[in-house]
Amino acid sequence: MSSKPARRPGETAFAVLCVVFGLVAFWHAYGISGFTGLSTPGVFPMLATGAMVVSGLFILAGTLRRPAEPGDGNAAGRFVRAFLPLRHCVLLVLMLAYLAALPLLGFVVASALFLFAAFQYLWRRNVLVTLVLSAVALAAIYVVFRIVFQVVLPQGSLVGRLF
Amino acid sequence: MVEALGHFAIVWLDPWLLFLTAAGTLAGIYVGAIPGLSVTMATSILISFTFKWPVNDALALIAGVFMGGVYGGSRTAILLNIPGAPSAIATAIEGYPLARRGEAGEAIGLTTVMSVIGGFVGILALAMFAPVISDFAIMFQSRDYLLLGLIGILLVGTLSGESFAKGVFAGALGVLIGMVGLDPMTAEGRFTFDTITLMGGIPYVAAMIGFFGVSEALVQLHNLDLPAVRQKIDRIIPRMADVKKHFWLAMRASGIGTVIGALPGTGGDIAALLAYDHAKRSTKDPEVPFGEGAKEGLVAPEAANNAAVGGAFIPMLTLGIPGDAVTAVIIGALFIHGLKPGPLLLTETPHLFWFVVGSLTLANVCLLIFGLTGIKVFTKIVECPRAILIPLIIVLSAVGTYAIQNNPVDIYWMLLFGVIGYFMKTYGFQVGPVILGVILGPMMDSNYRRAMMGARGDVGTFLWNFVSHPISLALTLGFLAMLLSQTPLWRLALKKVRRRGA
Repeated sequence: MSSKPARRPGETAFAVLCVVFGLVAFWHAYGISGFTGLSTPGVFPMLATGAMVVSGLFILAGTLRRPAEPGDGNAAGRFVRAFLPLRHCVLLVLMLAYLAALPLLGFVVASALFLFAAFQYLWRRNVLVTLVLSAVALAAIYVVFRIVFQVVLPQGSLVGRLF
Repeated sequence: MVEALGHFAIVWLDPWLLFLTAAGTLAGIYVGAIPGLSVTMATSILISFTFKWPVNDALALIAGVFMGGVYGGSRTAILLNIPGAPSAIATAIEGYPLARRGEAGEAIGLTTVMSVIGGFVGILALAMFAPVISDFAIMFQSRDYLLLGLIGILLVGTLSGESFAKGVFAGALGVLIGMVGLDPMTAEGRFTFDTITLMGGIPYVAAMIGFFGVSEALVQLHNLDLPAVRQKIDRIIPRMADVKKHFWLAMRASGIGTVIGALPGTGGDIAALLAYDHAKRSTKDPEVPFGEGAKEGLVAPEAANNAAVGGAFIPMLTLGIPGDAVTAVIIGALFIHGLKPGPLLLTETPHLFWFVVGSLTLANVCLLIFGLTGIKVFTKIVECPRAILIPLIIVLSAVGTYAIQNNPVDIYWMLLFGVIGYFMKTYGFQVGPVILGVILGPMMDSNYRRAMMGARGDVGTFLWNFVSHPISLALTLGFLAMLLSQTPLWRLALKKVRRRGA
């Protein structure tokens, strides 16, 4: 059985998480109506979460059967390097900031800031080029969605009703 | 019949609808072709933008995007050896070697024609079989719908992803997400933690955009530095002899595609792989060996994945069960527009059915036109770096999620599902079953309870009903066979049979 691929960093932890999540969800499903009847609102959620627990255990067993991941350093470090490198973290923080800013600054201002920051970070060109690119992209989105599709875009509560 | 023809023609005669379908097809080709943008992603984002439109406009646009997107993946597969969509994986195996020999244009021309042929076969099957299945489906009982839902989730779990257990887990997670909120039958809260926010349930458009849009953007972040390759293209109209020679293979592949598309849960990607396998087995002596640019291996998957589009609409419109991930998203759109896909759709709103058939046909014609033109512009746009695409996907996802209810909370759901989806994809889970679970979960729940109440809560009667009616029996057997085929017992039996045969 040497053909089995090695575990990915953090895969065991993820499998354990699946089982734990299934168990917690099952507990809540049980809380809906318990074992009081077969057509109560809680039965199907219990079946679904039960399936999660059982399949989660299979996933965990399958993961443990595979050879351990290669490489050195501690497990958390390998996980971060493989799946949450700096680029992902920065983008996630930018996204979170963007989503938080949307209702405050409104679509136009928040998106302009986000696009500029993200383009600049990921694409690494001249600031002027990035600026023009963000402006063009934003204008295109605005025209297509606000004017053609007539979508209501979020308006800012801080930056007036201008946009 | 005349009436049906009238509804069929609406989309062809109204200039605005004609424009929307054409624009959708063109956009779909690009969306499908650009690696990192998927048809499912585009449809889920589009649905949030179009839900205030008249239903015809929305359907015309979505039909175009679906048709174009399934085809578009083949272009980047041939030119860059990067399948733009999962349904073009097989295409890349044969298409890229052709491109390296400088025959990219010819390969694109041939795939276009074959995709269009496949598309027509799928649409024809939809027009012919959907009414028949719909008549038949009126006889379906609640337990049959429960079984169909289970089969759908299991099928997509079996055929995609790393392991069956991961497919089941993803499907069950989707069912769980679909259960959150007030129970539609008794108005009891489920998984609401007594908060008002959760009583209305988790908005499924936010889940779709999160799982298909944001998570894909995060996955693509790993591929930021892949360089783009340039290609020279001259001849694009395929040789008539080539089309003639491969016509019957295309027809067989289209048949495979339609059936696979029509099975609940499985779509173009699986159809394409099966058709590729069929081409490999049935071609005795190819001009060029498979894997080095055999045209047979290009024709079969491309005809099959476009045939699967029409096929996927069959169970969605007749049973209310999506044929694949994209139709799962489209079913969400139909719900938003107040329509109820199911056996009564064809009798209550036949115009809608024929409208869908009409717009798919139109989209297929547009595909032929756009597929054989505009290749020069195309190569320029596809080279768009991911560093620009990813932020744009995120902005579009945010706006799309917001547009559906104007509720900022939804955007956080989207982000949460995006991150969960990213880790699931990282560890070999498929996110398709999750969305199928979200859509099918509430339907399975209410059908399970109706069936149980019909049996007066008696487990014996409940189980007996599953085997005592012919339709239910057939479905039960299918379901059990699928479950069994995933256990070691089955493999053991198979080995024994093989040994005896040898």
